[in-house]
Amino acid sequence: MESYLIAILTVAGIYMIMALALNLQFGLTGLINFGVVGFYGLGAYTSGIATEIFHAPFIAGLICAIAVGAVAGAVVSLLSLRLSGDFLAIVTLGFAETIRLVFNNEDWLTGGPRGFLIATRQVFDGLGRSGAALMVLVIVAVAALAIFLLMQRLAKTPYGRVLRSIREDDLVPSTLGKNIFVYRLQAFVIGSAIMAGAGSLYAHYVQTITPDNFTTPVAILVWMSVIVGGAGNMVGTVVGSLAVVALYEGSRFLAPWLTFLDAEQVSALRFIVIGSALILIIRFRPEGLLPEKHQRPAEAAPPNLSSKGSSL
Amino acid sequence: MKLSRRLFLAGSTAAIATPAFLRHGLAQSSPIKIGSLIPLSGGGAPYGPEKNKAHKAVVELVNAAGGVLGRKIELITDNTETNPEAAVRAARKMIDADQVSAIIGTWASSVTLGIMPLCQEANVVQLFTGSSDFLPDGDKKRLCFNLQPLNAAWCVALAGLAAKRGFLKVGFAGPKNDFAASMGASFGKSLKEVGGEIVGEPLYYNPTQVSYRAEAEKLIASKAPALFLAGYVTDFTALYRELIRGGYTGKIFALSFAVGPDFKKAVGAAGNGILHGSPVPPVGKDTYDAYLRLVGLQPNGQILAPYGCAAYDEINLLLLGMASAKSTDARAVADHIMKVANGPGDRVTTFAEGAKLIAAGKPINYDGASSSADFLPNGMLKSRDFALYEIQDGNDVPLLTISSNAE
Repeated sequence: MESYLIAILTVAGIYMIMALALNLQFGLTGLINFGVVGFYGLGAYTSGIATEIFHAPFIAGLICAIAVGAVAGAVVSLLSLRLSGDFLAIVTLGFAETIRLVFNNEDWLTGGPRGFLIATRQVFDGLGRSGAALMVLVIVAVAALAIFLLMQRLAKTPYGRVLRSIREDDLVPSTLGKNIFVYRLQAFVIGSAIMAGAGSLYAHYVQTITPDNFTTPVAILVWMSVIVGGAGNMVGTVVGSLAVVALYEGSRFLAPWLTFLDAEQVSALRFIVIGSALILIIRFRPEGLLPEKHQRPAEAAPPNLSSKGSSL
Repeated sequence: MKLSRRLFLAGSTAAIATPAFLRHGLAQSSPIKIGSLIPLSGGGAPYGPEKNKAHKAVVELVNAAGGVLGRKIELITDNTETNPEAAVRAARKMIDADQVSAIIGTWASSVTLGIMPLCQEANVVQLFTGSSDFLPDGDKKRLCFNLQPLNAAWCVALAGLAAKRGFLKVGFAGPKNDFAASMGASFGKSLKEVGGEIVGEPLYYNPTQVSYRAEAEKLIASKAPALFLAGYVTDFTALYRELIRGGYTGKIFALSFAVGPDFKKAVGAAGNGILHGSPVPPVGKDTYDAYLRLVGLQPNGQILAPYGCAAYDEINLLLLGMASAKSTDARAVADHIMKVANGPGDRVTTFAEGAKLIAAGKPINYDGASSSADFLPNGMLKSRDFALYEIQDGNDVPLLTISSNAE
């Protein structure tokens, strides 16, 4: 059971990193990125190709993944950021599907539909099965913590305030002389690079990646994490990703109590339970489990009654 | 009573050791857990339920007769969603939370390959049905058994039929997936062996396309006198329509599951003349009929539950392997599955028959419902019946049934 929890927490940690990156793009800046899996998959394959074909160590693979993710993010956003939110959503969705088709068809590079085997791991050999699994979890947890602190910091700085104001109404910051385009580009590129980094962590963890690993359902899980947790709130995203993975995995353990149903019905019921729980959360907590704190303007100083200054 | 240091030491040692003794005692009587990991949604959804039903029926039968090694069998079922990512999470739960001894029933080759590293690492035996030629590559520890012949075996039969009908130049097209990719390569090789060749490059397409016009035009332009289209029912139907519309008049070879009742209804008389084939259960064989009756189906001379009968063999072989090995250790079980499947020994067709002979110390040879269940040294099936049909007046007319060998 411990090793199962370790495995699930590792997966949850990877989703958490992606959800934090999406929260920067969507939660703070209001950029709709439906192509989460595109950047995720790009990072996974880049890292795998770097370590397996070019025999680079894991760290180099991770750095390559982040770099390629950033470049891809820049290209996608330069193509569509000037356009409004809906267009970006469609372009990113198309990007993810295109990337998947490239993985599926460029057999010489990616192994095509049969998948890409990755021998390099994040950890040293000789730790044993459970030791290695625990080490991977520690690495993923440290990465998730680092990204969380970075995002938390970004959100609280004046930079984060500009991003939020762009989300609310981009006319306001632009009248204050902020270059909206550059801010959007930066938020999108940082988010995409982090998603690609998560892909690298995932690829070296599962060690076999196929194009089927990077289909839209994964992006939906990440989106649910952000929405359930509370868009714009980084702590909320952490809670949201843990809640979504707990719901997905926890519902598996219902089966022993449902012996009167056959296997098909149990598996269908699982999806009904997951769907209903999400609907209930959105119905009763429309802003997520931990809504973003409303930023109020600082209280104006009390009007100075005496024209001669303080009467101390 | 005064608590002396010695008493304290003895007492605490006993207290700490108690769980270990208990665990030992419990292990003797706790159930043997087996994972039934089948597709209940996604592309494999039509076949998962029949596989699970076969696993369940055998387990109930065996438990009613006292179980295996004096222990009950507990079947843990989960859904692969026909997706390797979801299947890996389900397999994690089976291996780490439930601690299963084996995972049986995976259907799509991508799923079987996806969970293979996990199973290898945790020493978990896998029995499955899959036809990708890449399946044996990941099985470094020799813990895998496949109840379905590999593509290479299907292609020998189809290429033989093509040559017999005088089609030595055949074009190939199929969806870009693991299954069709290895099929294209195998078909080319088999065709070469009978003196033919593939016309042009094998054409792979994206199976979720809205239109197949471009693919059809390309195939027609290749002027191949015959085409082998290794598609599934949805993409095959769409591609076939475009070919007919485009005026293609050559012979079409297909896989039986693509030209089932849905296809015939969709294209009507235009489907006549298609030649198709697939591995089939041995219709009319005693073991196949016994399986059908066990799951509540009436044998009627037709192909019923083509994957369920393989699942029946998966669970029977696994349990016989455990009984023969007198252990649930993966290495021993895998070695003994090979032994009970390939013989030599007395023919047995159910777990009960086999267990009786094993208890008497006699060697056995399991004869299955889907095939004779004999394996090559790499765990892949040696041979299975393969039937070839021609569509005439909207009906499948059997041409011949052959046993195609994988070697």
